[in-house]
Amino acid sequence: MGLINFLVYLAIMMGIYGILSLSLNLQYGFTGLANFGQVAFFCLGAYASTILVLVFHMPFIVGLFGGMAVAALFGFVIAIPTADLKEDYWAIVTLAAAEIVRIFFLNEDWVAGPDPYIGGAFGIGGIPQPLRSLFSPHTYPFFYLALVLVCLFATYIIINTLTASPFGRVIKSIREGDNLPQALGKDVKRFRLKVMALGGGFGGVAGCLWAHFHGFVSPEQFMPLETFIVWAMVIVGGKANNKGAIFGAVVIVIFYNCTRFLKDYIPIEEVTLASLRMVAIGILIVVAMLFMKEGLVKEKRIKESIVLKKACSE
Amino acid sequence: MLRVEKVYKSFGGILALFGVSFEVEANTITGLIGPNGSGKSTLFNIISGFYSKDRGEIYFQGKKLRNIEPYKIALMGVGRTFQISEAPEKMTVLENLLLAPKNQTGESVLNVFLHPLRIKNESKQHLEKAYEILHLVQLYDLMNEYAGNLSGGQKKLLSLARILMSDPLLLLLDEPTAGVNPTLIKDLIVAIKNLRDEKGVTILVVEHNMKVISEICDRVIVLDFGKKLAEGTPEEIKRNEKVLEAYLSGSTKREFFHENT
Repeated sequence: MGLINFLVYLAIMMGIYGILSLSLNLQYGFTGLANFGQVAFFCLGAYASTILVLVFHMPFIVGLFGGMAVAALFGFVIAIPTADLKEDYWAIVTLAAAEIVRIFFLNEDWVAGPDPYIGGAFGIGGIPQPLRSLFSPHTYPFFYLALVLVCLFATYIIINTLTASPFGRVIKSIREGDNLPQALGKDVKRFRLKVMALGGGFGGVAGCLWAHFHGFVSPEQFMPLETFIVWAMVIVGGKANNKGAIFGAVVIVIFYNCTRFLKDYIPIEEVTLASLRMVAIGILIVVAMLFMKEGLVKEKRIKESIVLKKACSE
Repeated sequence: MLRVEKVYKSFGGILALFGVSFEVEANTITGLIGPNGSGKSTLFNIISGFYSKDRGEIYFQGKKLRNIEPYKIALMGVGRTFQISEAPEKMTVLENLLLAPKNQTGESVLNVFLHPLRIKNESKQHLEKAYEILHLVQLYDLMNEYAGNLSGGQKKLLSLARILMSDPLLLLLDEPTAGVNPTLIKDLIVAIKNLRDEKGVTILVVEHNMKVISEICDRVIVLDFGKKLAEGTPEEIKRNEKVLEAYLSGSTKREFFHENT
């Protein structure tokens, strides 16, 4: 039973991180936007949904779409002043923006209601799980897994449809510089805003699912480190390939969770091990970038046959 | 079609353009020549909105182009290629062409989900047009290749092919034949003339190959040190002493033109 529970937990994490990874892949893999603040969307989705459900007593579905909307809006807003920045500056700005979001929730405890011991550094607990009363404690994780998978699947379908469309073609051209798409009459800034809003929205969904699964959110769960775990997923899995992004999430979640059992085999302190796992993920990114530039799943080359199939299928 | 009026542009202390004025008539091919650094590419960048000008005005079809973003100028019908061919390397040749048509329905996120049929019909039309243009520039067999794997000359052809997909009214070509093999240059000359004669496209072309210039151009404008040095038919330009002086000083100048014409 313990093993099955653990596997279901792993699968839920894979699903949630899969959504985050798809979202970052849309931004970085396809559009070339080096978003180092992906965790901000995750955090906003989690907090917005928590607050909507817990403080305003809204149903879960309102929390889900509310979290999505807030994170999408945030993506849109940070893209406005930054739309002209080059890749490296973009990375710095987004990193800072994510920290601002985290520190906001750390200091502004009123957002969680009047109770002085809820919100801020205390975090917010007791987040209700959707449809909890309909299931036994044993079957509920399976239901939640199904919910996560539905969200993952929907995200995949939407993003994959977009990246295979003329919209996807434009964002891929932006990835390699603004000049050419501009000379072809594409409003590059607008496309960036759209991508950030979309990426934000899906990141928000992941955050909401995460919050309602754990039942507890606190600012320390949304450190910049979280962003780089998602980056590892995109880089190892294969950028600009949506299946690769999900595959990367699967690999990194397994890697991240299974290394915690190393302490049973090698004499090492748990605290040290926790840090070592982060080092290992860093090494994994470096190795992937050096020896496996395209990741485990390569970007699909859009050949004539693919275009023909899309244009002429009935 | 295009009127350039006393345009000035400097980069720091360097004067790139110094009061350049000229006019491009509709349905003609105008050559823009001049030694390296004479301001040809700067002028292209100003017309297409990539650089701002310090002074002067540019009119396209009677409309003032001032503080207009490059993409809007492109949408107005000004197409351009780049001297150093910019191509999204990780997109195939075919994708490069399909990217170019303006205002595609499927470029809007909502339309992708709301109007899949319309997008499909558009794709069909674009695809047929792409085949035609790929044949024209002889890249048909390479359409599944990544643009990044093409040679320099092929990239030039790709940038021409791509801009043709966008149906420009005014086409700014920056050295379209540089690095292209001689037999294909002949085909390109025919193709460029066809654009003028059959599709009514107006063309402004920067080119160093004098043979190409004299074969395709109705008029030629010569720039030197950011100023207009001369203007006239290719024949007049070839006989212009000032132009010869600017291009090559000393005794080799005659040979230069004889060799190339």
